[in-house]
Parts: sequence; structure tokens; C-alpha cells
Amino acid sequence: MQNAWLIPLLPLLSFILLLLFGKKLKEASAYAGILLTFLSLVLSVIVMAGQWGGESYKAEGLWLNIGNHPVTMGFEINPLNALMLVVVSLVSFLVHLYSKGYMHGDDRFHVFFAYLGLFTFAMLGLVLSPNLLQVYIFWELVGLGSFLLIGYYYFKPEAKAAAKKAFIMTRIGDVGLFIGIILLFWQTGSFEYDEIFKAIGNKIISPDMITLTAILIFVGAVGKSGQLPLHTWLPDAMEGPTPVSALIHAATMVAAGVYLVASMYPLFEASAAAMTTVAVVGGITAVFAASIGLMQKDIKRVLAYSTVSQLGYMMLALGSGSYTAGIFHLMTHAFFKALLFLAAGSVIHAVHTQNIEEMGGLWNKLKVTAPLFLIGALSISGFPLFSGFFSKDEILMATYENGRYVLFTLALIAAFFTAFYMFRLFFMVFSGSPANHTQEVKESEISMKVPMLVLGLLAIVAGYLNTPWFGSFLEDYLSQGPVSFSTEEVHGPVWIPVLAVVLSLAGIALAYVMYGKKTLARDWLSRSFPSLSSLIYNKYYADEIYQATVVRGTTVFSYFWSYVDRYLVEAAVNGTAGLVHWIGKKGSEFHNGQVQRFGAIALAGLVLLLLIFAVTGGYFS
Amino acid sequence: MDLQTLTSMNWGIMAPEFTVLGTALLLSLLDLFMPRQKSRRILGILSAAGIVLASVFLFLQFSHEPASLFHDMYRLDSFSKAFKLILLLGTGLILILAYDYKMDREEEYRGEFYYLLLTALLGGLIMASSADMITLFIGLELLSLSSYVMAGLRKRDKESNEASFKYVVTGGISTAITLFGMSYIFGLTGETNLYTIGNALQDTSILQNQFLIAFAFFITFAGLTFKIASAPFHMWAPDVYQGSPLPVTAFLSVVSKTAGFALILRFFLLVFSSAPGIKGDPLLFQVQPYLAFLAGATMIAGNLAALRQRNIKRLFAYSSIAQAGYILVPFVSVSAMLFETTWFYLLAYLFMNIGAFAVIQEVTAHSKTHDISGFAGLYRRSPWLAIAMTIFILSLAGIPATAGFIGKFGIFMNALGASQGHYVLAGILVGTTVISYFYYFNIIGQMFFRPEHQEGRLLHKKGLLLVTAVCAAATVILGILPGTALHFFYEQFQLTDFFQTMEQK
Repeated sequence: MQNAWLIPLLPLLSFILLLLFGKKLKEASAYAGILLTFLSLVLSVIVMAGQWGGESYKAEGLWLNIGNHPVTMGFEINPLNALMLVVVSLVSFLVHLYSKGYMHGDDRFHVFFAYLGLFTFAMLGLVLSPNLLQVYIFWELVGLGSFLLIGYYYFKPEAKAAAKKAFIMTRIGDVGLFIGIILLFWQTGSFEYDEIFKAIGNKIISPDMITLTAILIFVGAVGKSGQLPLHTWLPDAMEGPTPVSALIHAATMVAAGVYLVASMYPLFEASAAAMTTVAVVGGITAVFAASIGLMQKDIKRVLAYSTVSQLGYMMLALGSGSYTAGIFHLMTHAFFKALLFLAAGSVIHAVHTQNIEEMGGLWNKLKVTAPLFLIGALSISGFPLFSGFFSKDEILMATYENGRYVLFTLALIAAFFTAFYMFRLFFMVFSGSPANHTQEVKESEISMKVPMLVLGLLAIVAGYLNTPWFGSFLEDYLSQGPVSFSTEEVHGPVWIPVLAVVLSLAGIALAYVMYGKKTLARDWLSRSFPSLSSLIYNKYYADEIYQATVVRGTTVFSYFWSYVDRYLVEAAVNGTAGLVHWIGKKGSEFHNGQVQRFGAIALAGLVLLLLIFAVTGGYFS
Repeated sequence: MDLQTLTSMNWGIMAPEFTVLGTALLLSLLDLFMPRQKSRRILGILSAAGIVLASVFLFLQFSHEPASLFHDMYRLDSFSKAFKLILLLGTGLILILAYDYKMDREEEYRGEFYYLLLTALLGGLIMASSADMITLFIGLELLSLSSYVMAGLRKRDKESNEASFKYVVTGGISTAITLFGMSYIFGLTGETNLYTIGNALQDTSILQNQFLIAFAFFITFAGLTFKIASAPFHMWAPDVYQGSPLPVTAFLSVVSKTAGFALILRFFLLVFSSAPGIKGDPLLFQVQPYLAFLAGATMIAGNLAALRQRNIKRLFAYSSIAQAGYILVPFVSVSAMLFETTWFYLLAYLFMNIGAFAVIQEVTAHSKTHDISGFAGLYRRSPWLAIAMTIFILSLAGIPATAGFIGKFGIFMNALGASQGHYVLAGILVGTTVISYFYYFNIIGQMFFRPEHQEGRLLHKKGLLLVTAVCAAATVILGILPGTALHFFYEQFQLTDFFQTMEQK
């Protein structure tokens, strides 16, 4: 446990080694990265094992003094971050392994692995940080790492723009975070988590200040976790290589916001207004992003909106007072979403397109990828006995118990949407007749299959860590941490899981009817079982009804929101950027280089200053 | 004052200044009598030796008790030592840039370059040590006049001429304004020594002239913003920076600015620390919103205008305006950590900016253009240079693990931790920082993400590489272990002697 600081340093070592010797190593670079992240993973598992029933551990040294306040740097191990360490290092290791096959033949193979190392280092460092300042430093480095990874295909203008956008959009959130952190410092005299929590416990900070700082910190989380209205960078960031999407958008960077809220939980709990903000933003994001996901044609964009939506779920859980549910979903989501991204990468690798309308009939060709994708899809849809089922149920339960019925309804709608768009994706890609150009579809190589298999397994079993049936291991484990939260069992009404399952099945069924059915050879059915033709007719009829009501409704709804997204949210963001550029342009035009103008401006400025001072100071009164 | 008292005085406290002065005089004589065709490079080595010797004297003075000459007219105290350290270090690095700078047709004037750099440095040193309006002004003018000539050193170059001309004219206006403000102060108190003025301003008979005191403050301040290139006297910077020879640009943006900040801190804190404001509040508190407005305007003007620039020197001019706005924040908020924050940021700024200029000099000398497209594909042409430039730019943008982050962090702490929290100013600071990413990252994008236009490897001048390496290392070290510099600061410079008057020793 004393050696936990090695965990982030190993990927950093990989980064440095590959930067120095990558050119010579060429594709052998992958082994360095894989080996070092594997060591990180092993250490993380050891650390987490020590946390079951063990004590939290903290080591730090003086970094600098600010006035009389010492600022330390160090690392801390507690149940929450030990869990995060395992999740992050595991996903990172698997992504490293997967990339070996996926990036094969790329000119800058070693650069890619170097960036992966840097990013993993930053993320693990963030998780280990014992104080907010250190969190902020690594938080920024994570942003930098993501900039490099998203912009990896820099020769594509979209990728370059997306990298810039991701970096700058998340930075807008960071403004809030930074101000929040420093305000907290001046209120409590420390950046340390435990000192801050102590100060909150002793009611040193005024309630207004708590609300203000909590919301400012949440603004940072909104940026990183792609919550409304700072979510637009996340779908664009799909321009990065697919393994990057799996790493950044499943388990690490976007989860950092949720992790931040979770690790600052006592601050949020101390303010009802902050909790409501978190819950409302989360709930609206969940349904908003899910509805946009309904109509996307790019396989990765569907997954991206789905990520935004699932992160909204996590925020909703945290805001509704269920710490465990939020972390639980963070963990299960990390596994099944990484799985989905890697599987999607495998599909793209095989058919060389991301447009799902050009895919189809891959079930028989991708014999490993397809079932694994199905597992991921079932899990995210909340299909019973898969991991997403348990974690999503817990969120719904918590929201209901919390008395936020509107948000609860939104979450249910989002669950239905999720099931629908996931299976729409599934059926369009894997069922139906093969699209013309997919002549030579080959399953991916072994180094890509293994990570998917591991994640597939985890996407099923991770849910059993916290179930109403076998016991709440995760909750017991997390409750040993410094963050105290109520551990009483949430006993929601039984109808909630039932309703959730029904909605999820309804979503799957609708997707099947619309996108799967066509492919299951209707002819074949009617020919073999003529007596069933009426049934088929009825089915068709149902389809029509769906078409007229639900589908049209959801289509309109989805279009509406994507227009809101495109024309209101984006326009506001772009408008601000445009305004800034416009002022810059006018400013430099104004600067015409005439010395007279320099002098005039200076004098006018001075006179104006004196005038304002005279007026406000009361000289004329 | 007879000769005996004159010789009995502790002239030793001016040892660094005398060394610089002596070197400059020696160089000007040598330059005069050296055969015309002979290379002047030897003079550069001599001037470097002078700066090293002056630095040695300064280090020996670290353990020296605080002392003064002429009743606190010229002081050797922690404040002056701390700032002289930055001035000498900065000039030393820039001298290496100047040594490697290609003068082309103006090669014969290379000698002037070196000794003008030294006289400018001398002006800066005087500014850091003086506590009297007269010596302060002499230092200020010595620095300014030397810089005017340096800006126009490439006399056959139109842009350089233009830079020099504009610099002289705006400089003249600013000097007039500064003097105008100082004359109010003198008129109110009849003193020139800053400590005596400070005491005189507490006099109750002066209270009826509250507005005059405040006006004097603003007028002097506006005049002095010329030296640090902040609003309202910032508009000269882009044209002058663009036209000046590159090492001069680096000098103006780092050393000259540092000297300006030293003067501003010393002057305003001593003169106005206990001056009464309107209706009771101390003046230094009362002027804060107005200064905050100027600082905020500087950040906004600098960062927004930088967005449109294609010329790398012009871009750095606007960036340097923006940085001046940031460095003003601790002064605006007058918090307990004012000195160490300003000092640390100036030190960090020295390394990151001179480092960046070293790379710019290397790149533009090769590409023959100052357009930022000259940086295209630098990573493939010279990976280490590109990485070093990335470090400098990340630091200027304030990204963690660089000195610039720690500096900005300190500034931010000042803004929010002062007795009156400057939330709006802090917000502008962070907001404009985000805007600055656009143009800073544009350069990084050029270096890494663009195909190269030019063929061939860069010249890799040894001196430039040395400066780049030193600056890059310092930027990273100060970013990861800021404690080293801050600890040194607290050890060596007990700033308690700042407000203490001293009898002549």
C-alpha cells in the first residue's frame, strides 16, 4: 500500500520510454505499454484487496507554503479510489492490449502508445490525489492527454477540431472548478479532502458558501463528464481512434467528473440546493442525450450519446443521495461501455465504415464480436441479470425514494430509449442481409478478442457486487471510506424493477420490430407457417401503430432535441466564440499603428479613469 | 559634502551596478578603437563576463545587512536583491540570444548592441534599488533611452526604424505623464524620498487634498504602465516588438517589464501605503476597483487581439500585454503574498518567455519569415526544439506541471484571498486564459500537426540551444517543485526591511 504511488508512475514510465525509444522499437512499443500497465493493474488489485476491511492510507510531503498554509502533495488510498484504480488500470490495460491489434500498421504506432501512457498516468494520478489542488493538476493533464489522443489523426480536420473543442469546452468547466477549489481553500485553509470535510462538519463555512463552492465544483464535473450544456465535445471526440473512445469515454476522463462529485460528497450533501442541481442536470442529460441517440447513423456517435446519457444517470444517482448507486453504475458502465466501444471498433475494423446503414448481417461473420456486443447491449439496456440491470435499478430506486418523481419518470423514459437505440444499433449492424461492400469481413485478431472477452465477462458479473439478492458487497466496502453516507437498505417498491424491465424489453422489442424483423425473413415465416399470416399481419399492424404513435412521437421528440442541441446549445457556444473573434478582429483593426492614436488612447484612458474616480469618489457632490 | 565623506561611504553596495557600468564603458571604448572590419563578437563575451561578475557581487550581497546610501536614496534591501537577480539573469540569457543573432547588413553595429544592453540593464538595476523619485526617474530614463536605440539598431530596416520612432514618441508621452504625476506628489509634500513622502502624506493638513493625492496616484500609475505595457499604455508594444531585433523584443518583454514592476511596487507601496483615501478608507484599498479595471482591460485587450495575429513577434507582444495584466493582479489586490507571487511569476515568465524567444529566433532565422506558418512541421524538423517550445507555450498558457501554472495559481490565490476578494477580476483572469489557449495552441498545432514547408535542418546555434535547454528545464522544475524557488526566496529575502528606513552606514 505504501508503494501505491508506483501505480501512476508505471504508465508515465511507458510514456517516457516510448517518447525516447519509440522510433526504434516500432510496433514492439506495444509490449512496453502493455507490460507496464499490466503491472499497474496488478498493483491496483493488490491495493484494493488490502482495502477490504483495511484502513485508509495516506502519505504526503510538503510541497510549498502559501502564506501560513502548507500545501502538500502525496497520495491517498481509500475504498473509493482503490476501486477506481482497479477500474481505470484494468480498462487501460485492456485498451493497450486491444490497440496492439487495432493500430497495427499505423505510422505513428509508438506515439499512440506513448499518449496512452501519458493519459493513463494522469488519470491514475487524479484518482490517487489526496487534495483538491493535486486533483486539479491531474485533471488538467487528463485534458491534455485527451487532446493528444482525440487529435491523433491530426491530418483529418474534424479530428483536429474535435481535439481542440474537447480541450476548450472542458476547460470552461474547469474555470468553475478552479474558482471553487480556491474559494474552499480560503474558507477552510486547506486543499485536503479530510480537512475540508472536517470544516464542513464543524460548520465553519456558511451554508451559502457551501452551496456556491459545491456548484462551482460541479461545473467542473459537468465539463469533464459531458453533462448539459457542456456535452457537445463528447460526440465530436469520436474522431479519435476507437480504442481511445473506449478509454476516454467509458472508464476514465468522463468518469472523472462523477468521481470528483463522489469524492467531494460531504460538501454536496451539506447543501440541498447543490444536490438538487446535480440531480436535475443529471436527469435531464440522461433523457436528452438518450433521445438524440435514437436517430444517429454513426455507430460511435450512438455510443457517445449513450455515454452522455449514462453519465447523467450517475449524476442523478449522486444527486438523489445514493452514493453507492452512482459509483456502482460508474463501475458497471465502465465495463459494458468499454466493451461496446471495443466491439464497435472491431466492427469498424472489419467493415471500414462507421455508418450503420451500410452495415448488416455481420452476426455470422463476426462470431466473437457479435455475441459480445449483444452482452454489452443487454447490459446497458438493463436486461435482467446483466450488470446494468442491477446498477440502473438502484438508481431508479434511489430517485424514487428521494421523492423526485419527475426525474424518476425522466429516468424511466431514458431507460426505454436506451434499450431502443442500443438494439436498433445491434439489429442494423448484425442482422439483415450483408451490405454489398462487405465481401472480405474478417474477425479481429486475438489481441483484440481477449480484451473484449474479459470485458464481456465483467459486464455480466460486475452487477453481482451489489444486488438485493446476494448482498451489497460494494456498499459495505465503500462505507469503510472516509466519505460517510447512509447505508440503510433502499427498499423501493417491487414494481420499480419490474417496470424497468418491462420498459427495457419494450425498447428491445420495438427495435426488433423496426429493424430486426425485416431481416428475419418475413417470407420465410409466412411460407412455413401460413396459418400465422394473420399474426404476421397483426404484427405488421402493430408496427403501423408503432409507426404512427410511438415511433413518430419519438422521432419528432428526438429531432426536436437534436435541433435544440444543434441550434440553441451549439449556437450559444459558437456564438460566444464568434463574438470573441469578432472583438479580436475589431480590436486589431482599431490598432492601426498610428502613434497619435497610441497617445490619444493612453490620455483618453487616463482622463476617463480620473473622471470616473472623481464621480464615484464624490468629488462633484 | 567633501571628498572624505564621499569616499567613506559604503559604495560596496553598488558593486553590481559599478561592474555593469564599467563593462559598458570599457566596451564602448573598445568598440570605438577596434578596427572596423574586426568582428565584434569578442565584445559579447566581455559583456557576458561583466554580467557574471555583477551576479557574483549580487550573490555576495545576499548575506549583507540591509544598507542604504544618501539617506535611503539608494537601498540594498531584500526587495532590490530579489529583483536584481531576475534582471541580471534575464539580461544574461538575452545576451546569448544577441550573440547568436544574425545582424546581416548591420553587423558593424554589433558592439553597440552589447553595451546598450548593459546600460539598459544598469537602468533596471537602479530602478530596483532606488527609493527616491529622482534616482528612480534616472534609472527609468536610462533604461528607456537605451531601449529606444536598441529598438532601432537595424537602421537599414524600415520596420526597425518605425519601431524605434514609435517607441520614442510614446515613451516621451509616458515620461511626461509620469513626471506630471510625480510633480503633484512633490508639490503636496515637498519631498523626493519615498519614505519621507509616505510619512508626509499622513499629515492631517494634507487631508483636504485627498483628491489630489488620488489623482497623483492615477496619473503616475498611468505613466508607468508604459514600461510594463499594460492598459492604457500598451498600444506601442505590438509595433515595437514586431520591428525590433528579436533579442531586443525579448529584452523589452522580460527585463524591461520586470524593472517596471519593481518600480511600480516600490513606488506605490512606499508612497501611498498609509495615504488617506476619500472618506476615511486607505487610498490603496480605494483605488483597487479602478486598478482591477485596468488589469482586466489589459488581459482582455491583449488576449483578444492576439487571436488574430499571424506574425509570431506580434502575437507574443499581445501575449506579453496579457501577461502584464495577470502580473498586475497581486498588486491590485495588495494581499500578504504580494511580493513572493509577483517575484515568482516574473521569474517563471523570464524562463518561459526568453525560452520561447530563443526558439522563435532559431526558427525565424531559418524560415526567413515571421509568419506562424514558419513553425509548420517543426516537430519533424527538430523534435527537441518543438518539445521545448511546447513546454514554454504550455507554461504561458498556465497548464499544470509548468512554472506558469504555479505562477497563475499564486496570482489567483491573491485575487481571491485578499481582504476584498476580486471575484470578477479572477473570473476575467480565468476566462481570458481560456481564450489564450486558442492562439497558444495554434502554435502547437503548427509544430505538430502541419506538414513542413521548409526543407533541411535548422542551424542549431549552440548558444540558442543552451538558452532553450536552460529555460525549458527551469520551467519544468519550477512547475513541479516550486518550493525550491519559493524556499530560496523566503530564505534570502526577508521582506520585512521593505518598509524600514535606514540610517546611512
